[in-house]
Amino acid sequence: MNDRFPIDLKVNGQRYQVDVPVYRTLLDFLRDDLGLTGTKECCVVGECGACTVIVDGRTVNSCLMLAVEADGGEVLTVEGLAAGGRPGPLQRAFLEHGSAQCGFCIPGQLMSAHGLLLENPHPAAAEVHEALAGNLCRCAGYEQITEAVLAAAEEVGG
Amino acid sequence: MNAETIGADFPRTGGLSRVTGGQQYVADIKVADALQVKLVHLDCARARILSVDKSAAEAVPGVRFVMTADDLPQPVPRFGPHASDRPVLAAGRVNYHGEFVAAVAAETKEAAEEGARLVKVEYEELPAIFTVDAALAPDAFLVQDPAIRRAGDPLANTNKFAEHRFGWGDVEAAASAADLIVENRYAYPMVTHFAIEPHACVAAPDGDGVVVWSTNQHPFQLQKILAKALGLPLSKVRVIAPDLGGGFGGKQWPNIQPLLAFMALKLGRPVRLVLTLEEVFQQVRRTSAEVRIRTGVKSDGTLVFQDIESNFLVGAYADIADRVVSKGNYLAAGPYRVPAVRIIARGILSNTPPATAMRGFGVPETAWAREMNLDECALALGIDCLEIRLRNLARYQEEFVPGDTPADGRWEQTVRRAAELIDWGKPMPPHCGRGIAVAAKSGPTTGLSYATVRLLGDGSVIVFSGTSDMGQGARTVFAQIAAEEMGVAVDRVSVVMGDTSVVPYDQQTSASRSTVIMGTAVLNACRDIQGQLRSVAAHRYGVDEAAVTVDRGVVRLTGEELSLVEVAKAGLGKMGGEYVGNGIGRKDAVPDHPLQGTAAFFEFNCTAIEVQVDPGTGELTVLRHVTVGDTGKSLNPMQVRGQDDGAAIMGLGHAMMEHYIFDDAGRVRNLGAIDYRIPTSKDLPLELISEQVENGDGPGPYGAKGVSEGSILCVAPALGAAVRDAIGIAIRDLPLSPERVWRAMRDGK
Amino acid sequence: MQAFAYARPESIPEALALLAEHGSGAHLLAGGTDLVIALRNGSLRPTVVIDLKRVTGLSPAIRREDGRLCLGATTVMRDVERDAEVLRHFPALAEAASWVGSVQIRNRATVVGNICNASPAADTAPPLLVYGAVVLAVGPDGERRIPINDFFVRSRQTTLPAGSLVTGIELPLPAGRMGSAYTRLTRRRGTDLASVTMCAGVDGAGVTRLAYGSVGPRPVLVCDESGVLADPAAPDEVKAPILEEMLAGASPSPRSMRAGPEYRLAMLRVLGRRALQTAIDRLAKGMA
Repeated sequence: MNDRFPIDLKVNGQRYQVDVPVYRTLLDFLRDDLGLTGTKECCVVGECGACTVIVDGRTVNSCLMLAVEADGGEVLTVEGLAAGGRPGPLQRAFLEHGSAQCGFCIPGQLMSAHGLLLENPHPAAAEVHEALAGNLCRCAGYEQITEAVLAAAEEVGG
Repeated sequence: MNAETIGADFPRTGGLSRVTGGQQYVADIKVADALQVKLVHLDCARARILSVDKSAAEAVPGVRFVMTADDLPQPVPRFGPHASDRPVLAAGRVNYHGEFVAAVAAETKEAAEEGARLVKVEYEELPAIFTVDAALAPDAFLVQDPAIRRAGDPLANTNKFAEHRFGWGDVEAAASAADLIVENRYAYPMVTHFAIEPHACVAAPDGDGVVVWSTNQHPFQLQKILAKALGLPLSKVRVIAPDLGGGFGGKQWPNIQPLLAFMALKLGRPVRLVLTLEEVFQQVRRTSAEVRIRTGVKSDGTLVFQDIESNFLVGAYADIADRVVSKGNYLAAGPYRVPAVRIIARGILSNTPPATAMRGFGVPETAWAREMNLDECALALGIDCLEIRLRNLARYQEEFVPGDTPADGRWEQTVRRAAELIDWGKPMPPHCGRGIAVAAKSGPTTGLSYATVRLLGDGSVIVFSGTSDMGQGARTVFAQIAAEEMGVAVDRVSVVMGDTSVVPYDQQTSASRSTVIMGTAVLNACRDIQGQLRSVAAHRYGVDEAAVTVDRGVVRLTGEELSLVEVAKAGLGKMGGEYVGNGIGRKDAVPDHPLQGTAAFFEFNCTAIEVQVDPGTGELTVLRHVTVGDTGKSLNPMQVRGQDDGAAIMGLGHAMMEHYIFDDAGRVRNLGAIDYRIPTSKDLPLELISEQVENGDGPGPYGAKGVSEGSILCVAPALGAAVRDAIGIAIRDLPLSPERVWRAMRDGK
Repeated sequence: MQAFAYARPESIPEALALLAEHGSGAHLLAGGTDLVIALRNGSLRPTVVIDLKRVTGLSPAIRREDGRLCLGATTVMRDVERDAEVLRHFPALAEAASWVGSVQIRNRATVVGNICNASPAADTAPPLLVYGAVVLAVGPDGERRIPINDFFVRSRQTTLPAGSLVTGIELPLPAGRMGSAYTRLTRRRGTDLASVTMCAGVDGAGVTRLAYGSVGPRPVLVCDESGVLADPAAPDEVKAPILEEMLAGASPSPRSMRAGPEYRLAMLRVLGRRALQTAIDRLAKGMA
């Protein structure tokens, strides 16, 4: 057994077949190997959520996943939310509601919100708080983030 | 005023890149050929370094160099904004838990980490000082060697970095006139900024100079300090400071940057360092404080005197902490009319992480003590806690600090609005309580900002400003001002910031100064262009310049109104061209003023909180949190709300759950996100209401004052008062954790 | 992170063979929410990490079988908290699972991983104890059933024999009516590790089971068969001494950063009374 492992996965719809060191986290793989720096690194212990991505339809902390564990899977990062380069409903709602202040936690917030709306298209405010409870925001724009998620849900859900 | 521009909820300039992941923070920037750096630090608060063995680290494949103090110019250069006391790398001694002793540069992060693990430091652990009492004990050792204290410092042989005395009137005489004197001691904990973006820096040789990308709020101050340390002219030191992922004061002053700059020049290659979150907690924090306060009042609640003794615990190196001590304590008596005041404020050195600037800048620490103590007076006299504040609040234009800027707002309006929003006076259910508090913080006392505006040939605009946008929305505000003055849509304005080689000088981004000082500079740069256009119009339309007025995008002459852009374009000939305007925002120093200058404005805030206490567990539920600030004019209300909500919640974090935990030897035990808790989306007040009072009475553009610190200033005392109201006991230490509240209920004190 | 080898066996025998080959140098990976942190901070330095997620026979599904509900080896918290059968028959377990970290954590963290880590503060431990769960394991000498109360020793230590792995957790469906509740104390309302954990279960026969954790080296299960605690009409003064005796086994560490020992012991009693009351109320309402 050597310490590199071949993986075959999709990231934002694009397929990658690469050898990765087994100790490489999914976060480092996305940022350093694929150059997708939208996903952020902060606490590295699964507490802050800045590294949140969606793997096979579920939100996860990419700092706590090894890249090899994503083999055969589909990963969605913040770069994948804008279809055809145009910001999606969540992103537009965040802009309209002033949800992004310094912006560093925002990719993670967007991914958690996206994951929530996939499972629950009509969440109540408390459900938004619960779904985003693992995404720390020190600018503490939680109220405006919640309002944006609810607004986007209304737009998408009808 | 174009209501669609000024006072509008205009979406954030730079917002799109924040929501698409396209924004490049320092850690996202790929600099070709950069070596990755990992720091080596010891697991103790204080030590004598005996030897550093690099050999095993250097043998790791990919490691290019291991930097130690021996590799620096000798004696090891020291830097700091106030005193040049901090060594670029620990030289012979480690003085706080986390001070770095060596730095490993390698081709990959993994190799650097492995190398750092293998650097063998032999050291002798020494006892550490990490409390005020220990620092002031008669037999305490000195945290700082007198040799590195400032020349002629009378306190050099003590652990007092400085001692400030402020005040007026005769406190002792006043004491005899008081009907009631209440004396207590309050403690404010050690907390940290915890911006979600960790500190990061890349330094690279740049021709015969150096270029440094840094998470930094004051790029020009960093440039100055680096130039001095490296012995380079300013023109050869370029600092690039991209928009920050949060600052809150923790990214104002250098810590890792000089080291990286030396390494880059030594190795002839770029070097990159991103701190871990644990390392960030070890490098920056807020000053903690112990405040002894004696308040004297008449039986009708009128304040007679305030006698305050503040000991602020600063870290092993001064950083800007002494300024926090002086500025924060200068207003310790509060925004009240007080005939006699005595304030003694000290910064006490200790073997703890360097205390630096943090949102509120010393005011939260003193407001905690003062407001809680005022409530004790009110309760003893049977006077309502709102009433006692209204009775003593400084009136508009009243010089509440003799010789300084008078109260610059109708503060009573702010207080009454907050009281209304919290339903002050309505009965509360059992186990619930209500509290109200006020505070004022000085804006900048001096300031200098330059701005350049370019009105381009097609009427679009570029603004150049050295302000740092760390989420407060400065970029957007400047775009709005330029749009307003040039008469263009806000999305036709680009704002260039964060590069000392490109933008003109800005002193710093702090003290909520940027809307006022830099905003004025931007406004003046626009006025410069407007002035140029007056002569263009006069020349082109054959009228006297005196007959031409230019105001907010409109040119008026001989009864006609033309758009500014139209006139601008008409003035450009076949060669094209543009108009360049320069402007300055300035607040001059007052040489013998205790703070070197009077306040440009005040951030005044009233916070009122309703809380429910779980009688079994001591857990607190904030039912309603009201924060009202006196903003003059909110140029972008949506952004102001974001800042006010944010500061309020950060204040709740300090009041309810945040603090450093030390072990017996001065090591910080709760580094990182698992055991240092900050508010999450589930920790919000059930109702959070933030409002602004706008009377157009600020010195900034369109009557604005500064914002973004007001809402943090008196959260703790508002909550503490609410808890006292609920359980009948005043708790004088923070945070108000469930355990602390439970203990107070159990012990009856 | 230090280098290690990564193996992804596709069968249980293959996984066991790897465990046998590498002994204490092998670490099992399911959700990774604990393991990856330990790998990064160097507190664990395995020679090989064995990823169990592709092993046939170790599924993430929750299965209803004859008289019991079976959690798989790789069943994640998020699925436990939302599963209709768990919510109906074992609501305290659903409650506990819903409080393990954030959604991101719960989408990866497994119940089996939680109990194998054996932190005294593990949220799923008290409900599993109250419900009388059985740990299913397989090792070099075949299959084994370990009652959950015999499973925990202390943090990171269980009675799982060397070279074995847990294949699932069985929850016997309650024979009669039952009322149960899980509660815990944390430093903030947001996601947090517990300072005290508490689960109470009362059944139609008047038996009360309490399980609590984070106040000693392992979670503790105690039982009252007198019927007094389960009796809604019995006054607090009568219940208090019984409760006292059941909680006497608690010995919280004085070194904890989350809460002091005195507070924890006091909260144990507060949470015990509250969980008990909720369990009684649920039993009366016919909720499990």
